[in-house]
Amino acid sequence: MDSTIVAILVQDGIVNGAIYALLALSLVLVFAVTRVVFVPQGEFVAYGALTYAALDSGSTPGSLWLLCALGALAFVAGVIRRGPVLRLAVTSLVLPAVVTGLTLWLAPLKPGVAVNAALALAIVTPMAPYIYRIGFQPLAEASVLVLLIAAVAVHLVLAGLGLVFFGPEGSRATAFADFSLSLGDLTLPGQALWILGLTAALMAGLYGFFGFTLLGKALRATAVNRLGARLVGIATAQSGGIAFALAGAIGALSGILVVPLTTVYYDSGFVIGLKGFTAAIIAGMGSYPGAVLAALAVGVLESFSSFWASAFKEVIVFTAIIPVLLWRSLRHVTLEDEEE
Amino acid sequence: MSRYWPLPALAACALVPWLPGLPVFWLTLLNYIGISAILVVGVVVLTGIGGMTSFAQASFLGFGAYASAVLSTHYGLSPWLGLPAAIAVSAVAAGLIGAVTLRLRGHYLALGTMAVAMSLYYLFANLDFFGRNDGISGIPPLNLFGLSLVDGRLYLTLIWAVLVLVIVATNNLLDSRVGRAIRSLRGGALAAASFGVNTPAARQLAFVYAAVLAAIAGWLYAHLQRSVNPTPFGLNASIEYMLMAVLGGAGQVGGAVLGAVLVTVINDQLQDWLPRLLGQRGNYESIVFGLILLAVLQTAPEGLWPHLFRGRTRKRVIAPAEALPRRVMPQAGSPVLAVERLSKRFGGLIAVNEISFAVNAGEIVGLIGPNGAGKSTSFNLITGVADPSSGAVRLFGTALTGQPAREIAQRGVARSFQHVKLVPGMSVIENVAIGAHLRGQAGALAGVLRLDRAEEARLFAEAARQLARVGLAEQADRKATDLALGQQRVVEIARALCLDPVLLLLDEPAAGLRHNEKVELAALLRRLRAEGVAVLLVEHDMDFVMNLTDRLVVMDFGTKLAEGTAEAVRRDPAVIEAYLGAAQ
Amino acid sequence: MTGKPFALRFAAATVLALLASTALAEPIRIGVSISTTGPAASLGLPQQKSILLLPQEVAGQKVEYIVLDDGGDTTKAVANARKLIDENKVDALIGSSTTPASLAMIDVAAEKATPMVSLAASAAIIQPMDAKRAWVFKVPQNDDLMADAIGDHMAAHKVKTVAFIGFNDAYGDGWAVQFKRVAAAKGITIVADERFARTDASVTGQVLKMLAGKPDAVLIAGSGTPAALPQKTLHERNYGGVIYQTHGIANNDFLRVGGKDVEGTILPVGPMLVAAQLPDSNPIKAHALEYITRYEAANGAGSVATFGAHAYDAGTLLAAAIPVALKQGAPGTAGFRAGLRAAMEGQHGLVMAHGVATMSATDHNGFDSRARVMVTIQGGAWKLLP
Repeated sequence: MDSTIVAILVQDGIVNGAIYALLALSLVLVFAVTRVVFVPQGEFVAYGALTYAALDSGSTPGSLWLLCALGALAFVAGVIRRGPVLRLAVTSLVLPAVVTGLTLWLAPLKPGVAVNAALALAIVTPMAPYIYRIGFQPLAEASVLVLLIAAVAVHLVLAGLGLVFFGPEGSRATAFADFSLSLGDLTLPGQALWILGLTAALMAGLYGFFGFTLLGKALRATAVNRLGARLVGIATAQSGGIAFALAGAIGALSGILVVPLTTVYYDSGFVIGLKGFTAAIIAGMGSYPGAVLAALAVGVLESFSSFWASAFKEVIVFTAIIPVLLWRSLRHVTLEDEEE
Repeated sequence: MSRYWPLPALAACALVPWLPGLPVFWLTLLNYIGISAILVVGVVVLTGIGGMTSFAQASFLGFGAYASAVLSTHYGLSPWLGLPAAIAVSAVAAGLIGAVTLRLRGHYLALGTMAVAMSLYYLFANLDFFGRNDGISGIPPLNLFGLSLVDGRLYLTLIWAVLVLVIVATNNLLDSRVGRAIRSLRGGALAAASFGVNTPAARQLAFVYAAVLAAIAGWLYAHLQRSVNPTPFGLNASIEYMLMAVLGGAGQVGGAVLGAVLVTVINDQLQDWLPRLLGQRGNYESIVFGLILLAVLQTAPEGLWPHLFRGRTRKRVIAPAEALPRRVMPQAGSPVLAVERLSKRFGGLIAVNEISFAVNAGEIVGLIGPNGAGKSTSFNLITGVADPSSGAVRLFGTALTGQPAREIAQRGVARSFQHVKLVPGMSVIENVAIGAHLRGQAGALAGVLRLDRAEEARLFAEAARQLARVGLAEQADRKATDLALGQQRVVEIARALCLDPVLLLLDEPAAGLRHNEKVELAALLRRLRAEGVAVLLVEHDMDFVMNLTDRLVVMDFGTKLAEGTAEAVRRDPAVIEAYLGAAQ
Repeated sequence: MTGKPFALRFAAATVLALLASTALAEPIRIGVSISTTGPAASLGLPQQKSILLLPQEVAGQKVEYIVLDDGGDTTKAVANARKLIDENKVDALIGSSTTPASLAMIDVAAEKATPMVSLAASAAIIQPMDAKRAWVFKVPQNDDLMADAIGDHMAAHKVKTVAFIGFNDAYGDGWAVQFKRVAAAKGITIVADERFARTDASVTGQVLKMLAGKPDAVLIAGSGTPAALPQKTLHERNYGGVIYQTHGIANNDFLRVGGKDVEGTILPVGPMLVAAQLPDSNPIKAHALEYITRYEAANGAGSVATFGAHAYDAGTLLAAAIPVALKQGAPGTAGFRAGLRAAMEGQHGLVMAHGVATMSATDHNGFDSRARVMVTIQGGAWKLLP
């Protein structure tokens, strides 16, 4: 094992870790705002990737119809709960219709990377807030366990639909740009640079969003104290929907970023999501910079263990969180908490 | 349901499989349901009742199944020897895994166990000893009196008889001293710890118990299936068991059986009906199942069991029993509690600043002061719930500082809480009996085997006595959280009295009480004083405090403002200005 | 691939078929348990579609197929087998798609004296022959047959060192065992033995480890599109040696995902995949072409996969045995099931899409070297090697 191998492994680990970091961030966000452990996060990665790959090959992705169906369901759910009909109609009926129209028009034309990525994002992202409205809003007061199981139910549905829409085999898309950067022995593919750059940009964006915008501050307020936020006029349902939308967008974007680099399957997302979780737990499910660092560490650990003992890679990666957790819990002596 | 339901249930286990006309495949389904239910009972104890979410239960099923499979194939041992081996292996594994993961709370634990489950799956799949991915096949069937249990009917009897025994054992466990400790973990752990419950040990016990049930299920699984490999022990399987528990009702043992039945039957029926409705291409089972699950969660977040079998409150019969031994009370007037220059800082904020005072036996001392003066923080420092930044707390001259809450309880310090902390799912008298936790010894095994009845009778007689003393005897069998808030405070006092305390700390006991209830409370406290109990109370009701206490300690902004008799304090100019002046 | 709507028209057909089947005499019922979801879905789905092509009537008897999904889970596979036998009263079982699930089903088949035709790779399903396995048949080529073909090709091309990478599951494990046997026989050194998971996003670590051993050739043992990832990574690292794959990759999705990076790959496959390139004298050609034509007519051009043909072969085997078995008893009876078993065991020179089978009491696969050809990938298509 020479320095070149070390360098390549570190680079590979960091690129994967960047994806885990994005997922970890959105998991932390959703949990903080809604107390939902967002298990279906992985499906958004797979949907984003496979929708983009379908557009890339010039065909209409099946997920488009799911968007319309979810929009209609979300509209019905919103109307039943006496939401503002006009606004609901715009967000859950008109929006999918517009996206569908654009996709049907543009997809056969093979409009290029930027348009495809934008379309894939527009198809996949709104599903998340629709799912929040249909599935989680009625459970806002339920325990974390019930919310977790509801998330598992959504995961089952989305994974099953993923198989129907995208089939059991994987897909890959052409790279955003066909260039690579040479640094001595190390060759960085252009796509890896895209991943690192966009991840960094997205993190900076999130930092700005939470630090300096009213909406971002409102989300943070909800995360700190749900009741308090409601008392000062921040609607829990609204902030939940926004958190889900952000998570959906981040998931879909992660998928779009990785699909030119590796093959993505309808069920790829779960394990990627689980590693994002691992990073989020290591970071303590509350710290954004911590989650990013932990995610990069998980990626690098994974990369090295696949070199050293590939059959036991998952064993190593998933066992590694235990000493970390132990250290954390020893450091913070928790008193008996009264949350369930 | 009568107490004797297990007998007809066992008889049914033996007879039902032989009913003429029972479709053969139902036997298969019932076998799987039974095995799942045994495991899910463990999930109910661990997750629904103990509040710990574990996604590693299928891994423990795997430990049990592999243990028996390895012994009976590699070493040719009798499958019956596999059972103790399965239990031992799984219990040890749970002990080790629990020691590492149970320090985690809530969702951390759920995700930590998910990681463990992933890790163990790939470990099973990559070790030659376990036959790698293909697993171990050719496991011999169980033999009973020379009869080979390959027939689904005989095996059904065995599985369901085990399930009945497991339910009986679990109900016994939950209705024991240790069981109340486990039940207090969800929502009442802090209070339980203040009454001497070793909460980490209770967590560990629940974890090991659930793992043992999973191992029993795994043993049954291995000899039913007669082959094992990693797939049934992966994360997905663990998730499915959790679904069963939540769908059925994670708070009740019956919910485990209901959940196992529902999930198995729904999946089976979907398999029959969906191809007829949607065609033979593609597969929609998991999609429809997920939708059903979501719909059920939205209509019944606590599971279906409470909706189907609602609201039967069992009346606990209190048998006359020999009174529990009492503590030797100190001589009236002798020093009990000494607080010396106690301080607590939270970052830059000084909540308690160099407070010193003492409470003697047979004395009621009031701790008063405006909101935020540091009274409740002082309580927490004295009872070991929080650690002081500096200073000392002494009980009979021995330092309590740094001792855990349960050690302090052991020495005879009992308390009530400003925000009532009663265990939500438990009846009033069961909550009160937690106060007597340290006055019993029975362990988990004694509880499971019902060897603890004599001791339990004594504990509950004591609880009933204290409940009568505070005037709530009529409410004994109601759910504690159904009482009015004022009454819940009084229940907390009864619980504290069950500890047989030398020092009683009461945090706003009179809040929410009606006038005559206050009078009764005051009378009770006077009687306790006469018995030699030292009482320290925080209270905002000035009439109540002034009439009852021997001395008052006045706090403001974390510091002691004054100390003395009610009359002296009332005349103290500093107190008048800072506190009473504002009030009058 | 993408955007397939719910196939409602098939629902109608199925309902009609179910209604029709209840009329008249007891039909012959064939129970199928395959993995149409989960990690082995790329095997199970083409199998499910191939089952729809099987004959609905044999020797004047209606034949009914009941297809259940086991998701690759052994518990479910066993439950399915019991359900099919106890509830649907099937006369024979087909399945499952994976080796562990097939192994677990053997006990049920033997206990209920119902013949079973496995669609999985490992020879362990039918060897060593014993009283239980007497009920079990297997239509895919045994993995040792395929491994031998690779070994022969490697020896002929002077390959001395090989790096192995396989799925971290039963398929990869099975191949690791077989290839170690072959390598020892041919004097080939295995310089790396690596594993990767189907959904792994990166295999860079494994590939670096393999390259460190400077192998003459690489053998990748995976099924479907995931097997392309190590090859793409090797390509990125400018690996110049020969890359061998297994017959698990043989579908067009692999070519689609692999693109130009998988050109020149060498692999053994069932002859079905390159049926059009077979000489007309080969008896397999006509049969395989018929399957391909029917499958692609129903599912679109280029949709055929070798895994699907195994299910078709299982149907062919049963259809050949049914007329003989009917003499032993009526469908639904133990006599008929025993007859089916015996008739399958007695098959001699049965032509199937993947080969010509001659069964015996000790060989329940019956394929010979005609059941495999070596192919390469050239110009984005499978090309038969001489």
